[in-house]
Parts: sequence; C-alpha cells; structure tokens
Amino acid sequence: MAASPELDPGAVLLARVAGFAGFLRANGYSVGGADSSRLLEASLQTGILDQQVLRWSLKALLCGRGDEWRRFDALFDAYFLPPNKSVFVASNVVSTGAQATGEVHEGSENEPAAGAGHGVVDDDDAGAARHGASREESLATTDFRDLSEAEHARAIEALMRRFARRLKHLYLRREERAHRGRRLDLQGTIRNSVACGGTPLRLAWKHRRRVRPRLLVLLDVSRSMSLYSFFYLRLARALCGELADVHCFIFHTRITGVAEALRDPDPWRSQERLHLLAAGWGGGTRIGECLLDFNRDHGARLVHSRTGVIIVSDGYDTGEPELLAQALATLRRRSRRMVWLNPLLNQPGFSPESRGMQAAMPHLDLLAAGADLADIERLLPQIIETLR
Amino acid sequence: MNPPAQRLQDVDDLQRQLEGVGYIAEPSLAAALLLMLDLGCPLLLEGDAGVGKTEIAKALATVRDARLIRLQCYEGLDVHAAMYEWNYQRQLLAIKLLEHDARPTAEKEQDIFSERYLLKRPLLEAISCTEPPVLLIDEVDRADEAFEAFLLELLSDYQMSIPELGTVRAVTRPLVVITSNGTRELSDALRRRCLYQFIDYPSFAKELAIVEIKAPQAAGQLARQVVEFVQSARRMELQKKPGVAETLDWTAALLRMGISVIDDDGAERILETLSALIKTRADRAGFTREVVARIAAAC
Repeated sequence: MAASPELDPGAVLLARVAGFAGFLRANGYSVGGADSSRLLEASLQTGILDQQVLRWSLKALLCGRGDEWRRFDALFDAYFLPPNKSVFVASNVVSTGAQATGEVHEGSENEPAAGAGHGVVDDDDAGAARHGASREESLATTDFRDLSEAEHARAIEALMRRFARRLKHLYLRREERAHRGRRLDLQGTIRNSVACGGTPLRLAWKHRRRVRPRLLVLLDVSRSMSLYSFFYLRLARALCGELADVHCFIFHTRITGVAEALRDPDPWRSQERLHLLAAGWGGGTRIGECLLDFNRDHGARLVHSRTGVIIVSDGYDTGEPELLAQALATLRRRSRRMVWLNPLLNQPGFSPESRGMQAAMPHLDLLAAGADLADIERLLPQIIETLR
Repeated sequence: MNPPAQRLQDVDDLQRQLEGVGYIAEPSLAAALLLMLDLGCPLLLEGDAGVGKTEIAKALATVRDARLIRLQCYEGLDVHAAMYEWNYQRQLLAIKLLEHDARPTAEKEQDIFSERYLLKRPLLEAISCTEPPVLLIDEVDRADEAFEAFLLELLSDYQMSIPELGTVRAVTRPLVVITSNGTRELSDALRRRCLYQFIDYPSFAKELAIVEIKAPQAAGQLARQVVEFVQSARRMELQKKPGVAETLDWTAALLRMGISVIDDDGAERILETLSALIKTRADRAGFTREVVARIAAAC
C-alpha cells in the first residue's frame, strides 16, 4: 500500500492503522512485527472505513490478555478519534501507559510518598531511608544491613541457587514414560515389541514426573518493614531469575504485582520500575485488605493446588484483623502451603502478639523468622519440606 | 476492499445466524469470528467459568454445518491422547497372522504401519477431515506447558509428523476455537498466534435474551426476575459466581417447582431451589432467608 499515491485516502488510513500497532506497543501491549502485517491483512479484509467493525476486529487481533482487552477501547478512541473528542480518554491513556511500561516517570514524582518508596530499592537512597526509619530497631538487630553490597549479592545468589536446586527435585505422583525407572510401562513395552514381532525385547519404563511448585511471594514494603524489604526484593529478584514459575507482589496500603519489574534484565531499570510501583508508600499497612484484593483480582489465576505462598511481613496491621483472617483462610484453601516469614520474630522480647499475627496464626503452615541470611539458610529445608 | 456497510452487514448476519441456533453473541464476538474465518487463525476465548465459551464452538459448528471435534485438556495430556496412537494389540495380532504369509517383509511392514492400525485422536482427526471441522480445544490452561508448545507447532503449519508414516498435512484448515479459564498463564507465543476474545458475564439485556431463547416456558415476568436475581447475586462477594449455565438450570428448577413469580413471600421455596445456582458451602451460607427475601423483593 505504501506505493499508492499519497493523496489516496485509503492508503493514508491504512498507514494510520499500521501506526496503531506501534501505539499499542508503546502502551505496554505485546504486539510484534508479525502482528503488524496481520493487521494490514485484516484491515484489507474487513474494510477500515467503519469505525465499529474496525474496532472489533483490531481488538480481537491485537489483544492478548484480559487487562489489554479492558484497556483497548480507551486506547482505540485516543488514537483514532479526533483530538477534541478524546481529550478525556487521552489523559487516561497516558497514566495507564505509564503504569504498564514503567518508562514514563512524571506523574508519580509529585506523590508525597514516592521518595520513601525510593528508599527500599535504590542503594544510595536506602542508606538515608534507613537512618530516618528507626534507630532503635537498628540496635536490636544484626541483620542484612551489615553486609556490604558485593558480599550481599554473592551470598543471596548462592543461597538462591541452592534453594532453586532443591525445588527442582519435587516429584508428583503422576508418572511419565522414561528410558529407565522403577516401574514397567506395559503399554509402552507392547508398543516397543511390535518391531520385534511381539517379543518384549525392549522394555519401557515409567518414573514419577518431576514438577516445580509455583511460588507466590507477598512482600510487605510498609515503613515498619523498610529495613528488610530491600533485602527481600533482592531475594525475590534472584528467585525470579532462577525459577520460572515465581510470582511476586508487594503491598503496603495497596497490592501491586512486581514480577515484570523484577524480571527486567537491566537492574537499574528494574529499580526504577519498582519505585513507580511502590508509590503511595509510607502509610500504615492494611494486610487484610491487600490480601482480599489479591484474592479477588489474581487468586483464581495464580494460586492453585501446587502453589506455595510465602508472605513476608511483620504483621503490624492497621486494618481489621477479621479481614486478614478471612483473606488468609481463602488463600490457604486455594494454595498448597502457606509460610509466613516474620523478620522480627527472633528479636529478644518479641512474641507474635500483634493483632494481625494473632489472626493469621491459625491459617499458617509455618511461621518463621527471616531476619538475616543465616536465618533463611536455616529455614530452607523447613520451607522446602512444607512446600512438598 | 469491501465496502464498510457490507462488513457490518456480515457481522449482523452472523449474529442472527448464531441467535437462530440459540447463541446470543455480542457484535464484537461475531466480528472476531468473521476475522477468524478470513485469516484462518485460531480464536482464543478467555473468561470466567460458565460465560458460554464452549457454547460458541458448538454454535459455530451448527451455523457452518460443520463437524465439531472436541479435545478436552487435562493435566498430563500427552501426544498419544491428543494426536494419534498405534493400535498395538491389533498390530501384534496382524504380525502373528502374517507370519505364514508369503509376501516380502517390507510389504508386511508397510501393512502393519498403515492407517488401518492408526487410532486417530482429536487433533489428527481434525486435520484429516475433508470438510473443515470446528476444532474445540477446551480449557487449554489445564494442560502442561509442553503440550502448549506442541500445539503451537500444529497451529502454525497445520501438519503433524508421525515417524512411521510420514507427515500428515491438513486436507482442510479446521476452525480452531481455544478456551481458557485462566488457571495458568498461557505463553505469549500461543497468544500471539491467536485472535483474542474476552467474554464477560452477560449484561442484563443479553442474559434476558439468553433465558428467553433457551427457556421459552419461563414467562416474561419470571425470566426478567430470574435474570435480575442472578445479576444481583453476581454483585455479591461469592467464591463461585453463577454463570449463564447456572441461570438456565435455576430457571428450569423454578419451573419444575411450579414457582412462577419471585417475591419475598416465596423466599422459603426459592431457598430450596438455590442448589442449582449456588455451588459452594460458604456461598450457600451467605444466602440466608433474609438475604433471599431482600434480593427477591428488589426484583
């Protein structure tokens, strides 16, 4: 179509349609080059002059998942409708785009809490945030902060490798065919013996199928946790790198998925994206409400009977403990095991008496401390045993 | 390029045809189905359980007068259950019978590995039909990732290779409808190859139309009340929201009990039929007599 004269309105429109793929990509859609060519093919098929038909067709063609589906109409209006008709929609689009790609930094800068959010993930600011956070606590603990950067990173990496290796060795009861094993696969043996005229010369075996459990990490990043959340975010990042089926969410007063941001291969950009996600930081923690939100929006999708849920929080909840108990009960029913790591647990004089912890206790398979690497190291066998 | 009015007309026609076989489709769905016919790529349907994903394939098959081939996915689904399997028992029997046959060995071998001894499973069945069938791959998210990768290969080339027999090419391209309940995140590669349609719970008007078409015995007022009741039940915090199938079951249950109007006086009798609508214990506990009476009064 590019060869057609420039004034041909059809060609101009087609070029515009082709540009739409790029526009969606900029808004965080996974639209590839092949889609652009299919887009043109589809537009030729359906005709592009009727707005409704074009909308329905492009929606089917370019969306890949539920959230893209829901955002599509606004983006379509913003792109194709004349500007005076789409002022409102366009402003919406910019903000969704920013959240989705994490590349537009304006907008959350002026949020009062964004600076504090910075503290968790950014090394330079982390120091400042720590000083401000609570001096008293720093006296009582000898944890992650004392490790220097490089040591820290290496230790976590080694730990994660061990953890991941162990997780890879979980087996299911379901069996699959194998070259060797402990049980004879009769059907396979008969199948192999066809070539030898029915004499079972080559035996087929079955062994138990290996499966990796899915891990769901729910990480409290409220201010009372700020000493630890930096460490745990690193841990989560290492986990995401080692294992395929890891899903990580952070929460304080809201809950946000960070798996995408953690998987970003560029560590600096990964941190930038985490800042944006942690915006709104610094208020109290509403664990119960956050978990309820999680159950509603992601529970059915992410939590299944092989999911191990790891919650990292100090249990200081400003919300209603009943809500927390209810949310945990739902989550526990869906999942395989639930582990709660409380970094404060090993502090002298600490007992899990906060109302949040009290409400949570009946639903947990394991409550453990996790204030430093040695703690986590000690816990690994226990956690793996619990996930089994 | 088709004139735009033509395409809109096509969408409208398909919608009416689907309605003719008892499926109420949104125009966007009809447009996606048309596009799927044009481009020949699979259609991926996502949405909660019970919003009518599977029904689409059935309706499409009826409208196109095509065969419906269904592959129900489950964990551990493998090639032998999805594509093909040799009928070993018959093969062995044939070997014994052929032992005293005078033909050369190569010929006998050919005979044993011929299509006669091949058990066709849904996928092979679908690509060897002479008329393009509708292939429904139901709940693909239940199958393992490995199966998904394998499906990709089939869906891009519409051919499969059977080592003993060679490559089997599709005679005609099946219309592939894939459904997913979202219990597992599907791979981007699969999503990219498919058209996508998210199916939400139906609006009041759409659900009313469905009830009227599927349960014509429910008189106008009852149908409206049933739909209103179900719609407000969906707005409640339930573990398992009732789908369209549940609405229809419940309508049938009400009719069977001889209930022709929903009001707060009849709450007791409505409670007896709720087992058709509410499917978990916790949800059932939330539907006390007072709750039912309140919703019924609002209908």
